[in-house]
Amino acid sequence: MSEEEDVILETGESTVMSWIRERELSLLERLTANILKAGPMPKHVAFIMDGNRRFAEKTHVERQEGHSQGFEKLAETLRWCLNLGIHEVTVYAFSIENFKRSKEEVDGLMELARQKFNRLLTEQENLEKHGVCIRVLGDLTLLPTDLQQLIAKSVVATKAHNKCFLNVCFAYTSRHEIANAVKEMAWGVEQGLIKSSDVSEVLLSECLYSSNSPNPDLLIRTSGEVRLSDFLLWQTSYSCLVFQSVLWPEYSFWNLCEAVLQYQLSYRSLQKARDLHREDQALQQMEADRSCVAELLQHRGNGKPMDAQSRQKELLNYTASREERVRCFLNALQHKRDTFFSDLSSQAVVA
Amino acid sequence: MFSSFSSNCRVNVTTDPRPAVRMTRKRVSRPIRELHVTQQRVQSGKVGRKKKWQPARCGVGSNQNDKFLDRPPLARTQSMALLYEMVWRFLHALLYVQRTLVAWFRVHIWRWKRAVVGLLLPLALGFHNPKKTGPIGKRTSRRIRFGAEGRTLEKLPLHVGLLITEEEIHFTDIANLVVWCMAVGISYVSVYDNQGVFRRNNSRLMEEILKQQQELLGMDSSKYSVEFMKNGTDKQEHQVLSCQSMVKVLSPDDGRLSIVQAAQQLCRDVEQREKTSKDINVTVLDSLLRESKNIPDPDLVLKFGPVESTLGFLPWHIRLTEIISMPSHVDVSYDDLFGALQRYAVCEQRLGK
Repeated sequence: MSEEEDVILETGESTVMSWIRERELSLLERLTANILKAGPMPKHVAFIMDGNRRFAEKTHVERQEGHSQGFEKLAETLRWCLNLGIHEVTVYAFSIENFKRSKEEVDGLMELARQKFNRLLTEQENLEKHGVCIRVLGDLTLLPTDLQQLIAKSVVATKAHNKCFLNVCFAYTSRHEIANAVKEMAWGVEQGLIKSSDVSEVLLSECLYSSNSPNPDLLIRTSGEVRLSDFLLWQTSYSCLVFQSVLWPEYSFWNLCEAVLQYQLSYRSLQKARDLHREDQALQQMEADRSCVAELLQHRGNGKPMDAQSRQKELLNYTASREERVRCFLNALQHKRDTFFSDLSSQAVVA
Repeated sequence: MFSSFSSNCRVNVTTDPRPAVRMTRKRVSRPIRELHVTQQRVQSGKVGRKKKWQPARCGVGSNQNDKFLDRPPLARTQSMALLYEMVWRFLHALLYVQRTLVAWFRVHIWRWKRAVVGLLLPLALGFHNPKKTGPIGKRTSRRIRFGAEGRTLEKLPLHVGLLITEEEIHFTDIANLVVWCMAVGISYVSVYDNQGVFRRNNSRLMEEILKQQQELLGMDSSKYSVEFMKNGTDKQEHQVLSCQSMVKVLSPDDGRLSIVQAAQQLCRDVEQREKTSKDINVTVLDSLLRESKNIPDPDLVLKFGPVESTLGFLPWHIRLTEIISMPSHVDVSYDDLFGALQRYAVCEQRLGK
């Protein structure tokens, strides 16, 4: 391990396995980056890193090597994103559907993941310097236990960092994520923390695995496929979708700039659509609150009609109490999730 | 800030008081670069390599406040920022001009082509096909062509979604698209826009579809239904093409809001102790969401307009949907639609494997 670090100091380049490439941009690249940054830039970009296997076929290497090269490209892309001022990146590393692949390939991918997360744990200083926070989204209980523990350790170790965020979707599908969020809300109802009438779009968003991140501004899929494949279906409703035909291991800085340009071209329309949606949401929430208050008053009612002022007061009270309930529920949920990770992490230490 | 900025960028290059704001933004992102710079210098050992913002390089006032040393000359940074902004505006103006030209050419060349064909066709008919005389014959042959062409495709989507992102909607063109889809053999067609225009003008759309059906297909035996009405059995004969299709109008409420309503239903069941939270999974939620719609997931979404987004179209249902973009729904032709269907036919869905 110390030999690897010596190599870094000597050549100024990271070893093949590192999570963050240390290469600086060329002059032309920097110029382009500065020009692009004169316009609106996405703050959160999501990648579907497709095309590793096709790349392996094309260059006549093993599939495993294709996936490895894919990871290298990820490290490089993170560097470019940082240079472009994009501080949050979400990547689709492994889908629950991918478990259908051959045992050999799945085991190979799990082994690659083990290597990378182990490497991450040795790179603590580097990650702290860049302030990288790693989060892993998905149903981790589907993974082998040792990998779960490794992941938990990495997540807990980088939790406090807050300069840039990398969300890795592992054992993830969007439908599972949404169903899980509904399950969590049902758990909240069971525990008596919230009522079923508190369920809203905003609350569902807060119960997703990605609740600590804003919605992606830009989603990029490589290798020419034009579908979402169960990735962030809820979160990308108003994101810019860019489908590029380049294979992931061949991704370049210029491809990224092209995608950002596409985002800038659609920016105004997307803002408008998002604002419209937000207004609708607020209206729906108010309507829901009103109907709940009306029901409450009916139950409580003694036949006397209430005047507008006291009805307004009741509405405000109800909204305040609903928000308080929701806040407590979300705290409890966060605590549950944190405990899950810290328990796993401490198991790893003991083991 | 950005809305006013981008509304300016298509007019003239104007100076605006942004540099001050932008500098703050750059300063926020700089710490990472500075750290990197220091690191790079230590690691690479190339001391002579020039970097843009280098702290502690100038000898003046090295004992003074570090923040002052960090700041490069104000005027130089401001002018650089202005230059980048001008280049950015110029680039976007170019792209805007390019897009407008392409759209203009597409519409005008197609119209010109159609006029020429209209002129030449009577001549061609006279020469080659004595059988096909008159407009009725033409229409019948075209209808047969639709169906036949539909059968030549490797795979045909069962459910197509028409996603209109443009603000101004031409109902005739949408009706054309719907009728063509039905004629080619697609069973379900959904029409969506994110402002709910189709929802509000449901009857107008229906009228247009009926009208275009008459015009394009001619015979009334083409049965179809809108919303939830489903007609009789499928009859596919050689001469007379009868298709049974369903057209559905969607709005953003059918997307996230339906999912929330399903979640509320499940939570109510849990509240009344009819279910537990452990009973909730993808299958349960899926069956609830399918109950109110009763149509298969869209296989293909045709997105019309310059906006690169699904704009809230059925998020739960589009997990495996191919999304093919078309420039505009205004004056769209059958060939455009067929081209998209051909693209769909050759795509390969690996489903995770």
